[in-house]
Amino acid sequence: MNPAISIKGLSVSYDRKVVLANIFLDIEPGSVYGIIGPNGAGKSTLFKAILGLVESHTGVIEFFNEDVEAHRKEIAYVPQRDDIDWDFPATVFDIVLMGRYPYKKLLEPINKRDREKALQALRKLGIENLKDRQVGELSGGQQQRMFIARALCQEANIYLLDEPFVGVDITTEEKIISLLKDLAQQGKTLLVVHHDLSTVREYFDKVVLINQRLVAAGDTENTFTEENIAKAYTSQLPILHKIS
Amino acid sequence: MGFAELIQHLQEPWALRALAASSMVGIMCGVLGSFIVLRNMALIGDALSHAILPGVVVAFLLVGQSTLGFFTGAVAAGLLSAVAITWIQRNVKTKADAAIGIVFTAMFSLGVIGISRVSRLPGVHLDLKDFLFGNVLGVNNEDLYLTLAITLYVLISVVVFYRYLFATTFQPVIAQTMGISVRAIHYYLMLLLSFAVVASLQTVGVILVVAMLITPAATALLLSKRLPKVLMIAALIGFMSAIIGLVAAIILETAPGPAMAVVATIFYLLAALFAPGKGLLFRQIRKLELQRRIRLEDTLKQAFHLQSAGKLSEESLAENLGFSQKVVDRQVQKLRNRGLMKAEELQLTKKGNEEARRLVRAHRLWETYLANQVGMPAEQIHDHAEKYEHLLSEDVLDEVDRTLGYPSIDPHGSPIPARRGLPEYSLLQLEPGKKGIIAEQQSSELIASRLWHLGLAPKSPVTLVAKGEEEVEVQQNGQTVKVPVDLARRVSLEKPA
Repeated sequence: MNPAISIKGLSVSYDRKVVLANIFLDIEPGSVYGIIGPNGAGKSTLFKAILGLVESHTGVIEFFNEDVEAHRKEIAYVPQRDDIDWDFPATVFDIVLMGRYPYKKLLEPINKRDREKALQALRKLGIENLKDRQVGELSGGQQQRMFIARALCQEANIYLLDEPFVGVDITTEEKIISLLKDLAQQGKTLLVVHHDLSTVREYFDKVVLINQRLVAAGDTENTFTEENIAKAYTSQLPILHKIS
Repeated sequence: MGFAELIQHLQEPWALRALAASSMVGIMCGVLGSFIVLRNMALIGDALSHAILPGVVVAFLLVGQSTLGFFTGAVAAGLLSAVAITWIQRNVKTKADAAIGIVFTAMFSLGVIGISRVSRLPGVHLDLKDFLFGNVLGVNNEDLYLTLAITLYVLISVVVFYRYLFATTFQPVIAQTMGISVRAIHYYLMLLLSFAVVASLQTVGVILVVAMLITPAATALLLSKRLPKVLMIAALIGFMSAIIGLVAAIILETAPGPAMAVVATIFYLLAALFAPGKGLLFRQIRKLELQRRIRLEDTLKQAFHLQSAGKLSEESLAENLGFSQKVVDRQVQKLRNRGLMKAEELQLTKKGNEEARRLVRAHRLWETYLANQVGMPAEQIHDHAEKYEHLLSEDVLDEVDRTLGYPSIDPHGSPIPARRGLPEYSLLQLEPGKKGIIAEQQSSELIASRLWHLGLAPKSPVTLVAKGEEEVEVQQNGQTVKVPVDLARRVSLEKPA
């Protein structure tokens, strides 16, 4: 099968500090991938590089053997929710409609079909009744549902979610994970940066363990082993590791 | 100045030109200012307006007194400053707002020095004061056409690029991943801002442009929660500030620019006080309502405790609550009006009891949470819970209940009541290792039948073995059965003797 995302020799450094070193990784469609690693392992940077948001990196990233520009519309990104102005004068519906922007030419108006798609996405997440709320009037879980509804509304092929379960209630977490599994069934590609090691086996059928370098990638069953986890969570401080 | 005289004044060509120019500036600055405020760029707006002065001087030296020359010079200087500010912010380790301060004061100083040198040359009519505070009464036709062209250009740009502006302002990262160049939009906005500043130069002057950009926009943001509406309200407030300010200035024979800024500020103050939702008055009223509710709920809870102890009277209520007899009378009356207290006697109704139990549950659950999860010392938890019992919703409490593993007593040893509509003594409330007897009468057939399916019989003892997040393990007649937490919570036990 053609990989959805193919990363060849990706390295990123900021201010001479290495964040990601020489990553080779193929992401297959039809699976939910958990991206696992300690703080500062470069998980968010990996996403940014995939999205083409990192200006200076080495290596090549291809989507279905093509450049990112050819596939922008098909990539939906759900970033961490921290630097958002929640007083912003926008309703939930306004934000979900942003998912249609990539399909619109400069003066092409948002039409009835776009609105219908946004409504469908809201319904899938169970927040249709909140559509006219200002974004700051939502709970953490509802905010996350809104952003995932936007990703759905974008009808993307590839979904990148950065810690979607932080500050989110249990019901929302379950809703989101079952939705992601559905999308994988439909042949979409899903990457989720995740922190809670206890749920990895339950949530993801494939995992990528990184800590600046790629530690391991593959089926959760064979890859998410104690040995690999230990490697991912200690290799940042190899010297300390040797002393102990 | 009489009314008739004012009307006559306002019909003269200079006054009409001034009205037209300032209303266009008001509208344009309101719309553009909304984006400036939302992007936290108020300081940049101020900076750009000051920074255009040297451009005007250079243009004058090159082409003499020319409206188009001034325009070009000013826009060039504005853009140069925007680029310089951004460059410093990216490449030098200077704080972002310090970089803005350095660039704009430097440009402004160069401009002031330049103008005062140039204005001393023979035959030159350049007045520094006109640049600083505007000279709206001296607007000529050429200025007016330029202002019209700029206003149209700015408004059309906002309409055409609305989605880009919206996306880059709300979530630049997402805009970028959608293929929108955040940087290009930033510089385009800087260009529009320079245009607006140049157009405002004659009306309000460089010092007060920022008032027209920021104040109407900030006012509109208090009044609406949707961007298109915010833009329209900001335009309207900008327009009204300009017109009212100009007329007031003519009547009072003062400078129009400051008068417009003052009117805009009055609109802002009115909105800050009276805006529904975000206004101070509204928030104050909500605060008072909350206080009133808290007082009533405290009375209800106290009445509940006293009633359980068989000591409920108006005197004991007053004493325990620390209220005067009159206040207690009023509170009791309110409880009766809401159907929480019986009309004929001093006793809570069924609804009153339920409501009070909810408060007690909130209080004791929160105390348990603070003691067990937060690790707050026992002597502090009561006051904290006293406050939060009024604020926590049922959903939050259920979540707290779940996190704590459905405790049955609080840290002070008092029982925690069950959720509304649930049995008073449920299977879930048993401590691990303790025995209970499943009641014959369950609250619904469904529960009785589910128990039967699990093989649990009524009227015989069960022992709770372990409490998990999802299930509890119970033993009856040597058989171990797993009962989902949701069911366990609904299973009534016989009251312990």
